[in-house]
Amino acid sequence: MEAVANKQLVSIEKPEIAAPPDWEPVIIGILCNWCSYAGSDLTGTSRIQYPPNIRIIRVPCSSRVDPWFLIKSLQTTADGVLVSGCHPGDCHYISGNYYARRRFLVTKKLLNFVGFHEDRIQFSWVSAAEGPKFAQVVAKVTGDIKKLGPLHLYKKENFEK
Amino acid sequence: MNVETFVTDKAGLVKFYEAIIANNETYAPVEKFGKFDFKRVLTLAECDPDSPITKTMSAKPLFFPRSAKILKYSADASGTDVKETDEDPLTGKRVILGMKHCDARGLQVLDKVYNWDYIDSDYQKRRQNSVIISSRCDKAETHCFCTSLDYDVENLDAMDVLIVHGLDGKIFIKARTEKGETFLKANPIDPASGIQHSASEEGMKKQYDAFAASFRLKMDYKNVNGKLSKIFDTPEFENVSASCIGCNTCAFICPTCHCFKISDEKIKDTGIRYKSYDSCNNGYFTLMAGGHNPRPVKYRRWRQRAMHKFVYYKERFGENLCVGCGRCAISCPVNISIFEVVNQVATTV
Amino acid sequence: MDYTNQIREIATRLFTEDKIDVFVGYRMTGFDDNQVPALIRDPKEVSQLVFTDKSVFNLTNYLKNEHTRNKRVGLVVKGCDSRSLNLLLTESQVKRDKLYVIGIACEGVIDEAGNKMQNCMECVVPDAVVYDEMVGTPKGKQGYQVNADIHELASKELVERRAYFEEIFENCIRCNACRHSCPMCYCAKCCIDQETSTLYNGANTKSSAFHALMTWSLHLAGRCVDCRNCEKACPSHLPLHLLHKWNERVIFENFQEHLAGVQEGDRGAFYKYSMQDPNDFIM
Repeated sequence: MEAVANKQLVSIEKPEIAAPPDWEPVIIGILCNWCSYAGSDLTGTSRIQYPPNIRIIRVPCSSRVDPWFLIKSLQTTADGVLVSGCHPGDCHYISGNYYARRRFLVTKKLLNFVGFHEDRIQFSWVSAAEGPKFAQVVAKVTGDIKKLGPLHLYKKENFEK
Repeated sequence: MNVETFVTDKAGLVKFYEAIIANNETYAPVEKFGKFDFKRVLTLAECDPDSPITKTMSAKPLFFPRSAKILKYSADASGTDVKETDEDPLTGKRVILGMKHCDARGLQVLDKVYNWDYIDSDYQKRRQNSVIISSRCDKAETHCFCTSLDYDVENLDAMDVLIVHGLDGKIFIKARTEKGETFLKANPIDPASGIQHSASEEGMKKQYDAFAASFRLKMDYKNVNGKLSKIFDTPEFENVSASCIGCNTCAFICPTCHCFKISDEKIKDTGIRYKSYDSCNNGYFTLMAGGHNPRPVKYRRWRQRAMHKFVYYKERFGENLCVGCGRCAISCPVNISIFEVVNQVATTV
Repeated sequence: MDYTNQIREIATRLFTEDKIDVFVGYRMTGFDDNQVPALIRDPKEVSQLVFTDKSVFNLTNYLKNEHTRNKRVGLVVKGCDSRSLNLLLTESQVKRDKLYVIGIACEGVIDEAGNKMQNCMECVVPDAVVYDEMVGTPKGKQGYQVNADIHELASKELVERRAYFEEIFENCIRCNACRHSCPMCYCAKCCIDQETSTLYNGANTKSSAFHALMTWSLHLAGRCVDCRNCEKACPSHLPLHLLHKWNERVIFENFQEHLAGVQEGDRGAFYKYSMQDPNDFIM
């Protein structure tokens, strides 16, 4: 069986419009209530620094994240999206993140297929105990998107950051 | 109006087109995915003014855009700021190449709606500033029936300049309106290939006769119109509309459908109000705020569309709304032809 | 492929035995060699029915129609149509005991130019999988092939793919005919149409076309049966199958070779999960 969809898609992206010197990316972080949101809380209470580019939205479970959320985020403010939930097996609702995982993969591949760099949409599993990991994840996502530059593709006309 | 008819050949026509595109803001059919749509063109190579009608979208969006911005608004603590948008790219002076005569007729029909109780100033501006250059079709396609309706296909005034590809290879160019005449003076046909000829009307007439003879579909329009207006309650409508899936394609590509919806695209406290196409085949088209829907089932919506095309518009404005281009039948995914259906209803009931 | 006589016989029998109220099949348009779906309620009209390789449209679309709702329906399904019927059954959209399904062992249908349709060349399930009665000689399941278009696009650079899809979204006229013609789209109110939404995407802009087509194709991921009703309906002739085929491919390669509606009782790919699903793309 020849892998077509699983073959790495060629994804070299040049910034469409050069970023202004003081540009900072906006990243929408959609975090599950039980693990990742608590994890980000721990990051804060542990006084660990992470980039302030992320705007956090709390959802009950990573399977609450409709791919629509990602599309709408990319259409408006976001330069990138991070979705984070409990580790496989740790879901508060037993299997929510397994369902979510399937949707994430298809959404990521499809968005990559139609022309978004794969680093624009990222996923992570962060548990409530992984404060330092959350900081690392946010730092990595922010770094990736800073490299890619601002997103102009399919933006709504009247959006303002 | 007594105007000259220019006679030229293929090369002369190409030169004429090239000159138009070079000197004017020109819109012409451009092919994308096997379908021609009217777009801004900069060279003749990227467009095809003689694109086949079966594959060409109507030119209606140049006058009644698929989405037009009406206004922008923003609100903050100090109040709401509403301003009309002035960024309409379609209201400038422009030339439209390759419009079919049925499209041109469609504009004539639309003019009546837009000049009715409310004068749509944007539409008027777009109409006044456009010069329509149209070539007559060589032969009728499967679903064409423009000659069966209540208008004179041969002497249509909506097009400013008419181009006729004569049977003997001669090409006739003639201004049909004053706007067209001034346009031809400003954009003269290359004198090397263009000769003025006043006795050449015969070639145009011959072409028209050949064109008119090629029609497969013929409708007894007066009879259909008279019959339809009396059979609103016939159950036959339920039968003929059964295979319709209500996909709205017919309304979106129709050169005369003019229903629209108003919608806001808002983000936080700012927004743009759009006027976009809508279709009477949509289930929620007539849905009222209280929940009542006067046309809750498909056959009623379908009947509304057929009756509006062939009866209601005629009653109100004295002209038939359908122009007989057959685009709806071409694009229908389940191959329903409005001609066949209306004919069937009118003849069987 | 011409099963006209068999279909007429079956339909006549069903009407005389009083098993159905309405029969959904195909009839000729009467003016060219194309066919119109026919919803036949009168046994006298059975003689209009035909079935040839021009019988293209997926008739399961009519099961959400007011003409068939709460009625006993006789239905003609090809291989791909039966897959969507399968999914509609598992999603509780139709009742099996109200249906009498005539399955076709399909040899592929042809488009308007007379060529075999691309999806028929790559068809995995040519024979109907749900049926009460089979017409024709079944060929059995075929091997799953890679769609050539997908292969070509996937090997292109990101910027090229982006430019190609930008063209698609730009040429979309937002008539939503793709959605209406899709047998798997049955929501009473589509999320794309929700006018009170703060991000209403009803205008005909590139951004809203992106939103509509992406949302639509993601809702159909793992449920699309590749019948190409949407492409037939698209007035701009957009290659909409690219989005669906790509999703189908991703799902096939990653989720235990899932193909929508091939097995009876099988649900869409997003309604189930496996411990073996790929996890390496998640940090």
